[in-house]
Amino acid sequence: MPSERGTDEHEAGEAGTDEREAGEAEPRGRRRRREQRPPTDYYGIPPIHRAHWGGLIEWYFFLGGLASGTYVVAAIAALFGRPEHIMVVRIGRYLAPLLVVPCPVLLILDLGRPERFYNMLRVVKLRSPMSLGTWGLVGFSLLAFLSGGQQAGRDGLLGGAGRTLARLPARVLAGLGVPFGFFLGGYTGVLLGATAVPLWARNARLLGPLFLSSAVSSSCALIQLVLACLPGRHEESESALERGELVAALGEAAALAAIHVHSGALDAPLTTGRLGRLHAFGAIGCGIVGPLLVRSAGRWLGLPPRPRSILASALALVGAFLVKHVMMRAGAQSADDPAATFRFARRDGVPDAAGVSGATSGTPAQSGYQPPTDAARA
Amino acid sequence: MNDLADQVEANPGAVGFLTDTTLCIGCKACEVACKQWNGLPMDGLELTANSYDNTGDLGATTWRHVAFVEKIDTQPVDPFRMLPFQSNWLMLSDVCKHCVRAGCLEACPTGAIIKTEFDTVVIQQDICNGCGYCVPACPFGVPELSQADGKVHKCTLCYDRVKDDLEPACAKACPTDSIQFGLVDRLKARANDRVEELRGLGVEGARVYGDDMLGGTGGIGGLNCLFVLTDEPEVYNLPAHPKLPQDETLPGLLSTLGAAALLGLGLIFSFRGR
Repeated sequence: MPSERGTDEHEAGEAGTDEREAGEAEPRGRRRRREQRPPTDYYGIPPIHRAHWGGLIEWYFFLGGLASGTYVVAAIAALFGRPEHIMVVRIGRYLAPLLVVPCPVLLILDLGRPERFYNMLRVVKLRSPMSLGTWGLVGFSLLAFLSGGQQAGRDGLLGGAGRTLARLPARVLAGLGVPFGFFLGGYTGVLLGATAVPLWARNARLLGPLFLSSAVSSSCALIQLVLACLPGRHEESESALERGELVAALGEAAALAAIHVHSGALDAPLTTGRLGRLHAFGAIGCGIVGPLLVRSAGRWLGLPPRPRSILASALALVGAFLVKHVMMRAGAQSADDPAATFRFARRDGVPDAAGVSGATSGTPAQSGYQPPTDAARA
Repeated sequence: MNDLADQVEANPGAVGFLTDTTLCIGCKACEVACKQWNGLPMDGLELTANSYDNTGDLGATTWRHVAFVEKIDTQPVDPFRMLPFQSNWLMLSDVCKHCVRAGCLEACPTGAIIKTEFDTVVIQQDICNGCGYCVPACPFGVPELSQADGKVHKCTLCYDRVKDDLEPACAKACPTDSIQFGLVDRLKARANDRVEELRGLGVEGARVYGDDMLGGTGGIGGLNCLFVLTDEPEVYNLPAHPKLPQDETLPGLLSTLGAAALLGLGLIFSFRGR
């Protein structure tokens, strides 16, 4: 996608002009052009391979985030909230198992060999976020179903089995489920970060917080949406959920701002082209700013609470999907950009063989390469 | 042997390749031998117009790839002065680097990717379920998901041949010994000797790729497949200072934990307040 990496090419072009003028005095044979300019590429062929993940995984990130968020919101409302939030607790406990059901299906369908999905369950690897995520999803699903079953039993559903389930310790389940829920909401960002894709890897410590905040804010929105569709008014719960959504949306905005600052030129896929527009107007505009505007300005304008809540929640949910969609596609663009990979793989400041300390270095090295094992050979 | 490089790299008994780009003539015998021995299908008959490189990239069915770089002098060349060494036409036979600490292996959630008794990195084809996580986790872009069988494939360093005391097919076929197979310790010493020799000949850009200075950096701990280059690694489409991606797993989880704590507190206050 040549049009998507205008920033890098522009910089490269400028540096090249400077050097050709300065290069006249250089001794013949020193390839100063190569050393000073942001590194060249090989016919534009990406030096790393992009992930194959597409829509299935984006929907998994979205639904898994909602499942984890609704569970966490319900559990915290049950453990710490006042008793009038019972509807929030009930909705969250019912939604979480419903939302987690499609998750393993999406993940298995995305495999190259879906019939071998169970090989995910033959090892635990603490440094592989995908292995951790597999086990996290298994644990979370179990707790989400137990909590949902317990609530259903208390509500007089499920017959005899329901009466047994109702005797389960709800608070213990909630306490166990919250860490699993938070993990499931955030590990997906860590998973993207633990790759060689420049945009993701540079932000390995920010994508987890971003996806987790997005999961919590969109879950608050989803529960408000359900509340708005139910008969009766739950003003206390609605304002509590609005506060929770605001906190999470602010966290999301902070994470996105930090990603832009931290990425430097690597954030080009998020700022240019169709994806950049989708990021600005969809993920940020529709997902973060939109719901805040509708919920606050809608009140001044006298929009009735029910449509206000439905509109704001719908915007928040669309935005939450777009955050994942944009980040996934931006990673693919970033992986396809050789300049981004080379820039990322030079940033650590370690001088390379020619003595250049990275793409930002302005001084070409005159001192040569020292073979590292001279001492060893002597 | 008090050099740090020798302490952190290659496990004892590790085997690997030394690919000396100054000896490569671009015959692609390695590509052909690899495909023949491993029974890999052809990739098509397209011409890329990128010099003589019609292979393009390493992939699921291409485990050796010869890169052709045509450098153009920016300064005028003196026709009466002999170049100290070689032309501006660079060739490199690229291959899986068989990292000492491999990103693909650490990413693999099924345990399909293993270290063998030769310290090489092999994907067990009866385990791999094609999740594709190793593909973006490799800092060198080596493994690839095959559309044909839904599994990930890459160079095995001819595990079957090495087990039988045979050198890998590509090294066997290489007519100029640009590809050398052997114990990594010895290959490393040979690579350093060769770089010194080249620098003596006036090749100032000669360098080893795959030690802890270049290529095997950032937690990777060195590569079992070394290269002798005469220019910046990027010229050959190799990253200069790649990092082991999984070193970010724990920091990423900790920052997510921090975010979870803040969000949890925010939710608690939200549901307590009026």
